[in-house]
This record gives sequence, structure tokens and C-alpha cells, in this order.
Amino acid sequence: MRQTFYSGGWLYAALVAPILILIFTFFYLPVGLAFYWSFFLEKPFGGGSQFVGLENFARVLLDAGFWSSLWRTFLFMMLAASFGILLALLLALAADRGIRTSRIARNVLIWPKAIAGASIGIVFTFIFNPFLGLFAPLNEVFPGLWNPRIDGADAFATVVIAQVWTGIPFNFIILLSGLQTIPDTLIKAAAMDGASAWRRVRDIQLPLLTPQLFLTFVLEFVQTAVDPFGLIDTMTNGGPGDSTTLLIYKIYTDGFHSYDLSGAATQTVLLMLFVIAMVLVQFRLEKRVKYER
Amino acid sequence: MGNTIELDHVSKAFDGKTVIHGLSAAFEDGEFIAILGPSGCGKSTMLSMIAGLERITSGRILIGGTEVQNKAPKDRGCAMVFQNYALYPHMSVRENIGYALKVAGVPKEERHRRIAEAARVVELGDYLDRRPSALSGGQRQRVAIARAIVREPKVLLFDEPLSNLDAKLRHGMRMELSQLHRRIGATSVFVTHDQIEAMTLAGRVMLLNAGRIEQFASPHDLYHRPASTFVASFIGAPPMNLITVTGDGSALRLPDGTILADHGHTGGVTLGIRPEKIVTGAGTLLAKVLYREDLGSHCSLLVQLGGGQTILIASPFGTEIGAFDEIRFHFPTEQIHLFDTETGLRANS
Repeated sequence: MRQTFYSGGWLYAALVAPILILIFTFFYLPVGLAFYWSFFLEKPFGGGSQFVGLENFARVLLDAGFWSSLWRTFLFMMLAASFGILLALLLALAADRGIRTSRIARNVLIWPKAIAGASIGIVFTFIFNPFLGLFAPLNEVFPGLWNPRIDGADAFATVVIAQVWTGIPFNFIILLSGLQTIPDTLIKAAAMDGASAWRRVRDIQLPLLTPQLFLTFVLEFVQTAVDPFGLIDTMTNGGPGDSTTLLIYKIYTDGFHSYDLSGAATQTVLLMLFVIAMVLVQFRLEKRVKYER
Repeated sequence: MGNTIELDHVSKAFDGKTVIHGLSAAFEDGEFIAILGPSGCGKSTMLSMIAGLERITSGRILIGGTEVQNKAPKDRGCAMVFQNYALYPHMSVRENIGYALKVAGVPKEERHRRIAEAARVVELGDYLDRRPSALSGGQRQRVAIARAIVREPKVLLFDEPLSNLDAKLRHGMRMELSQLHRRIGATSVFVTHDQIEAMTLAGRVMLLNAGRIEQFASPHDLYHRPASTFVASFIGAPPMNLITVTGDGSALRLPDGTILADHGHTGGVTLGIRPEKIVTGAGTLLAKVLYREDLGSHCSLLVQLGGGQTILIASPFGTEIGAFDEIRFHFPTEQIHLFDTETGLRANS
């Protein structure tokens, strides 16, 4: 559709330019360069590169460290996305039913969205501190039960919890707005049909919430693949051992600590392909549960 | 007891603002009741309270002699047809109708038999596998009714079910609802703001005004013996003429002394007379027609009485009266209703 409001083609271009320049410099250019570099062997301190074809890919794909961090990334995506959505869904259902104090909760729940990942990481490091934090009393009774500095599973759990916590606000808003588009009379009709509150959630609200649930799952999957960098960097530095080294963190350490620029670029490309594949699978799933209003 | 409904001093307040004021009434088993009133009179709230979708603030509601005001909707044995149909968009017509049975754990075979039966009653047989979005307004309405009757409820509640249909369809559905009620015999409560629906469908009409019952009577009584000026002006199109007059024991006079009608009343009173009951062509009253509407079956004439008050006269088809003509007319004494000027309540028997 051609609009006549702006007559000159140049004005048109000038108005669109800023956002195009931003997207190009900070998205398409890096992505393109990562693709480019994944076929070259880059010198760590600059000054020339050598075309090596698929050698980088062969090297990365044969590296056990890559596969284990990809597995951890997958696990992390599954856990953080599921819990982030499940908890947000429970909160949204509660807020939608107009349960007492839900109005306050609605406001309070949205604030965490405005906090940077690194800050959250520092706060959670305190909360989960084995000597001063929330679980310190537990450690007094069962010494060594909780210590994310030593125990890899504990460390992984802390990062998952922090990620879930950051994910809830957005999911909550999306799901709550989705619930509120469901006409009140449908819920009343189901109540008249004899359905209990839980039955109404299962038979009426959840099926009608599918579009919003799908949206949150897609966004959560993309976010949990990329977002936890700030958390890992402040909370665990990928440790203990490699237990919290997700792919996004491995790319950073490989590239900027080990100066394996080509390897980092290659893993970036692979991570991107992985996320795309996951989202495509979800889109296939969505077609099966589609309905019309 | 059958399936009677009893309202015993039922009150409802929202945030301290009372919308239903201690309302009491009894509906007989199998009766078709219409709750009629202007918007905001509390009629839908009343229905929701019977259904259990809205809690009552005080009083009692009895269905079949059992107190139900503290029971959940599913334990009251009511089924409801909603204004916007409220069909589940993600279920087929069959699933929509059968949902209540499924929730109640009715075995699959019996379920299918009863769904087919309900669909047959509302003539929906061919559409069972469609989604509601593929149906027309009238068909959706049928699904909503089938969904309500499939459980064989004690009480059927209708919340303005015809207001989303176009005029022609509405007339057809009205007839079908009436026949359906005769066949099923469930006690039915029908909320509407449309007096024609209420008058044609219901055995008795409860006319609500601002959360109070103005009159609870048969359509005939509502029309011919209105209990108050509110009823008189709400029922009938065009509404009843209401004129402030003074009686001297033999005649009712306007403030300027003109005799409107012969009547034995003494003192100030509000005279009511239906436009179609005023006899034109003869009589002592003479007035000029200010405005004239030809409605085919009759003419509606706006005339001005002495003292400036205007009244409507419905003249029968065939009388040749033009706008700005002077006409003669009179008020037959037996057609006159008297209302207390202060309270608006009916004064003559």
C-alpha cells in the first residue's frame, strides 16, 4: 500500500533510515561477519585471515566441550522457559480471577522487567550465598547441602532460578492480557455447565490462551538461549567446572579469553541455527493446536 | 414443591450501592416469567443471582423449596442462555452442547443420544460438527438453547437472548421459544428490555424499576391495569398519556378549568389514558393537531390541550385528519386510569 501522506521518496527514506542503520550495524552486520569468519581462520590480534572452508565447523563439532555446553543450553532453555511460563501463568490466572491484592501484585510483578541481568545476578548471588543467604540455615543443619560455589547442580539451579525470575514479568503481562481477552460470559457459561474453577482453566481458558502461550514459549526460547550471559558472568563465571557454561558463555570465553575468534564465530552460527530450529519446531506444533475464535 | 423459585427479601449492593432493594416474589412450577425493565434496573443482576453467578447481599433464594443462595451455580440445577450466546469457540457444536454432560461424567453413549435429542428439538441436526464461528446468529442461538436444555434443567434462565438477532429472526425465535417452553415445561425466567418480548412470551411479567418491583402481573393486567405511572408510561407504544387534573366530584378538570372527563373523584390526581382509547370525531374537547404520523394501521396525532400540555391520540385507520386540522375528541370514563400525583400509584380500582 502506497501512502500519499509523505509525497517525496527522500523524506520517506530519511525517516526510515535511523532504525535501518541501527538494525544493520548491530544485527545484520555482526551476524553476517560471524558467518563470514566461520569459514576463515582469524589471527587473534588481527592482520590477515585464511580461508579454511568447513574446517572450523569440523573442529567445533568434534569438540566434546561444544556438545556438553549445547546440551546444557538445551536443558537450561527447557527448564527456564517452562518454569518462567508456568509460574507466570499461575500468577496471571490468579490476577485474572481478581483475587485479593492482585491489583498490587500486578504492579509489583512488572518491575523486575526493568532490571539488568547483571544486577539480578549480583542480588541472587547474595540470596544463594551458602553462608549468608536464604539456604544458610539449611546448611547449618545439613553441612554442605547447598553450595553453588562447589556443587555444579546447585550452581546450575541458581542460574535457572535467576533466569526464571527475570522471565516472569513479561510472560505474566502477555498471559494476563490474553486471559482478559477471553469473554467473561464464557467462564460464566462453563460455571453454569457445572465446571469447577480448575476444570474451567483446563477446558476453556488454556485452550483459548494458546496463541499467547505460544508467543511466550517462542520468546522464552530465544531469550533463554541468549539472555543468561549477564547472569552467568556475575554469578558463576561458567563454573564450578563447566557446569554453568552455556553456549552463549562459551562463545564469549572462547573468543575473548582464549582468542579463538574463528571458533567463537562458528559456535555463534551454530547457536543461531539451533535457536532457529527450536522455533521452527514450535511453529509446527502450533499448527496442530490452532483454532478459530 | 416442583421447580418453584422463591425470592425472599433479596438485596444486592455493589460497593455499598444498593441495586436490588429487598425484592420478594414467587414463580410457580413451569411458569414462564419475564423480568422487564429499563437498562440499569437490576434485571440482569437478578438473573445472575438466581443462577448463582452473583452473590446476594441479603435475603434468601429458594429453588424447589431448597435454599440455594449459598450454593455454587452447578448445584442449583439452572441452565442459562446468554445474550451473546457464549459458545465455546474452540469446541464443535456437538462438544458445546455436550460439555455440561461431559463435566457431569455422563457416559459417552448416553451423552451422544442426549446431544442428538437436544439438537433435534432446536433443529440443529446438520451442524453438529461445525465450529460456532461457522454458524449464523440464529444458529448460534439454537446451539446456546440446546446447550441449556440438554441437561434437562429444573430452571431455564434467559439473559436477553434475542437482542442480538435481527427483527425478523427475533420474531421467529420468539415463537419457537414459546413452543419450546410448552414442550419442556421447565420454569423459565426471561430477562429483557423489550416489552413486546415480555408481553408475548411470558405468563407473568415482573416490571423492575431501579431495583424494585413496580408490578408483577399478567401482560393483560400490566397493560390494562397499570399499578403506577411508571408502568403506564413504560408499557405500550406509544405510552399512556398522563395529565395532571383536579376532580370536583363530578368531572376532572385541567388547571384552566376545561372539563376533560366525567368522574366522581375529588382533589388533585394524575389522569392516564391510552392514546388508542381516546375517541375522536365527537365530544366536547377541541384541539389542533400539531404533528401527525401515519403508521399504516393507525395515525398518531400530537395535540395540545388547554394549558399547554400535549397528548398523543391514536386514531384508527381510515379517519381523515390532516396536520393542523382541528379535531373533536373525548375521554370515555371507563377508559380512565387515575394515579396519585405524589406517589404515582394507582388510585382507582
